[in-house]
Amino acid sequence: MKRILIDKELCQGCRNCQLACMAEHTANRSVLCLDLEDPANRARNFIEAGPHGQPVPILCRHCDEPACVTACMSGALTKNPATGTVDHDPGKCAGCWMCVMSCPFGVIRPDSRESKVAIKCDFCHGRPFPRCVEACPTGALTLIEVDAQGTVKKICLPEPVAGETAPEEGAHQ
Amino acid sequence: MKMCTSADSKLIDFMGSKPEVETSFNRVPGQAIKCGFGMQGVCCRLCSNGPCRITPQSPKGVCGATADTIVARNFLRAVAAGAACYLHIVENTANNLRAVGQGKSGLTIKGAETLRELAGVLEIKETDPAQQAVKVADRVLEDLYRPRGQQMTLVEKLAYQPRFRRWQELGILPGGAKSEVFDAIVKTSTNLSSDPVDMLLHALKLGIATGLYGLTVTNYLNDIMLGEPQIATARVGFSVVDPDYINIMVTGHQQALIGVLQEKMVTPEAAALAGRGGAKGFKIVGCTCVGQDMQLRGAHCREVFAGHAGNNFTSEALLTTGGIDLVVSEFNCTVPGIEPICEQFLVRQICLDDVAKKANADYVRFDCNESAAIAEKIMHAALESYIRRRGKVQVDIPEHGYDDAVTGISEKSLPKFLGGNFKPLIDLIAGGKIKGVAAVVGCSNLTAKGHDVFTVGLTKELIKRDIIVLSAGCTSGGLENVGLTSPGAAELAGDNLKEVCRTLGIPPVLNFGPCLAIGRLEIVAAELARALDIDIPQLPLVLSAPQWLEEQALADGAFGLALGLPLHLAIPPFVTGSKLVSKVLTEDMEQLTGGKVILEGEIVPAAEKLAEIIEQKRKALEL
Repeated sequence: MKRILIDKELCQGCRNCQLACMAEHTANRSVLCLDLEDPANRARNFIEAGPHGQPVPILCRHCDEPACVTACMSGALTKNPATGTVDHDPGKCAGCWMCVMSCPFGVIRPDSRESKVAIKCDFCHGRPFPRCVEACPTGALTLIEVDAQGTVKKICLPEPVAGETAPEEGAHQ
Repeated sequence: MKMCTSADSKLIDFMGSKPEVETSFNRVPGQAIKCGFGMQGVCCRLCSNGPCRITPQSPKGVCGATADTIVARNFLRAVAAGAACYLHIVENTANNLRAVGQGKSGLTIKGAETLRELAGVLEIKETDPAQQAVKVADRVLEDLYRPRGQQMTLVEKLAYQPRFRRWQELGILPGGAKSEVFDAIVKTSTNLSSDPVDMLLHALKLGIATGLYGLTVTNYLNDIMLGEPQIATARVGFSVVDPDYINIMVTGHQQALIGVLQEKMVTPEAAALAGRGGAKGFKIVGCTCVGQDMQLRGAHCREVFAGHAGNNFTSEALLTTGGIDLVVSEFNCTVPGIEPICEQFLVRQICLDDVAKKANADYVRFDCNESAAIAEKIMHAALESYIRRRGKVQVDIPEHGYDDAVTGISEKSLPKFLGGNFKPLIDLIAGGKIKGVAAVVGCSNLTAKGHDVFTVGLTKELIKRDIIVLSAGCTSGGLENVGLTSPGAAELAGDNLKEVCRTLGIPPVLNFGPCLAIGRLEIVAAELARALDIDIPQLPLVLSAPQWLEEQALADGAFGLALGLPLHLAIPPFVTGSKLVSKVLTEDMEQLTGGKVILEGEIVPAAEKLAEIIEQKRKALEL
């Protein structure tokens, strides 16, 4: 099972993870074309200021015992036993906000577009590396493989971001 | 070591064979993750409440600045810095011409025809060339130093009249150039202007000042001092380096500063000096735009100039050949990355202008009146470096480049070649043998698909569509080194253009030389428009700076927009965070000057868009 490991000491508060998350959830997935003035664009991850002003990245932990799933009355939120991710089905979501109230980390929120359904981290829907991990320049976010007991099995290292933000890589090492 | 790619496969092979040397190419992967706020231009660091960044949940900076204000401020600051760079060049060049005219420099006037013509345009009464030179220089300097409230006097004389009138209508005729830069800095400081449109108009004023003075006047003055371009073929690429000589690599943009070396390094005394180290003599190896300028004026420095090796991002690799003994730099495109390589290869560095002072270079302040002493100092430094390093470092000069790059093309040599005027070119365009003209200009960067990748790809796509390409800037260096400025490249052109090239014996890419030559392209455009009795925006002529790199390129771009040309960029100039600024640049500008920015990051769609514009303009002219 894949998880995002956060090393908050390495976070510089650049918010690149937030831009990447917002972009991934727009039609053309481009950071360059992302409308930064449209409140409908909302990241599913957060950089908050800690008690001493230091940046603290807050991402959905896809909890082993997810309070949001327990609180969800409509069955929109489920814990996927295969991938370990907490998945959200907007088709089933009633917008009761029980999940919003119960999440201890405050990461699940009402959709600011229409405020009818909740939005949360979808782990970029099976993308090999979540966009936030790819976009993190400091290594504060890394992708890891864990077993059922939560023991880290492997650190997954992404290639540099492909596409608009990165030059083409030559085949030369 | 990982590295980015290049259109120049031999260069990549060479660098791949030198894993012990780290260059910019190797640093690209490590910088691949870009800051999204920076890319969109919505990061503001103007005060201690910041840095503020615009997000959908925080749409204003602490002070209340919107994305539009922040983007416009950042953009104008960048254009102002770029304009300042070119104005620095013309200022130095004019001061040198003044010294030449006063007879204090030991240099002579080589471009008497250009001097006579320019003196005529500026209505200078003097008839003696030396006095004319002093007057011309004075007139240029007076304009540069004028207060912002006084319009510069040469603008009307140098600009194509329909353009001048349009600028007048728009109220964008610049005041004193340096004052315009100064007030652009004031305007964009903390809690001053918040008006994005006013800031964009200011950028156009800076574009005009940059284009007419920084580019065009610099070319004229250098042609006067260093000789007018003459069409010839030249060797290009790393093969120009001959290890039997003491090789001085030059980087920068100010041939007026390098020019003194040209004369002194070919005297019998210089040969004797080089002989003391066992070398055959001294050679200047061109790199970056100053090399491109020397190549352009190659007819006047045949003996001393080894040839042009490559553009901005080849400089690190060029040092890695081990064949360079001294670096003399005088302006930008002298990347900091050369410094550790110079140390590694025991190459001494000298800077002639402290604006380009490298940390481990010796600074020798350029003074036109001390040119003999400076040349002497440089030759001695080169000799010492040669003796110290040769035998200790490996010299490995790869087979690289072409022997038959066509060079020396200018607004004067081209019509001369065509039989005295531009009519043959106009006839070819009117007849459809040549569909139109694309100026592929500006820098090279490593991020628009790799070093020269976009430039070369776009050029190939354009010539395939029978669009003739004119190059100026680091694009020239990239295009030369892959053979596109050699006559053989005609084979890559569309059938009609191929036929034209074969008949005339020319390549499908006409190499005008350095970025300063963008000023020459403007004169070509104006001459074509004059012959057809139309304004520049009506011409089937497009501009692309596909791999723009730096602030200077943005000032060039502002000139292109002021001229009313469609300007393609592969990477947006950090403006997409503002809808207003983006809309003005990519749409509304057409109503103002006739120009507009076209943002397209893919090669074939970019070529298609430019070809489509050319087609539309042809239709409008009923061609």
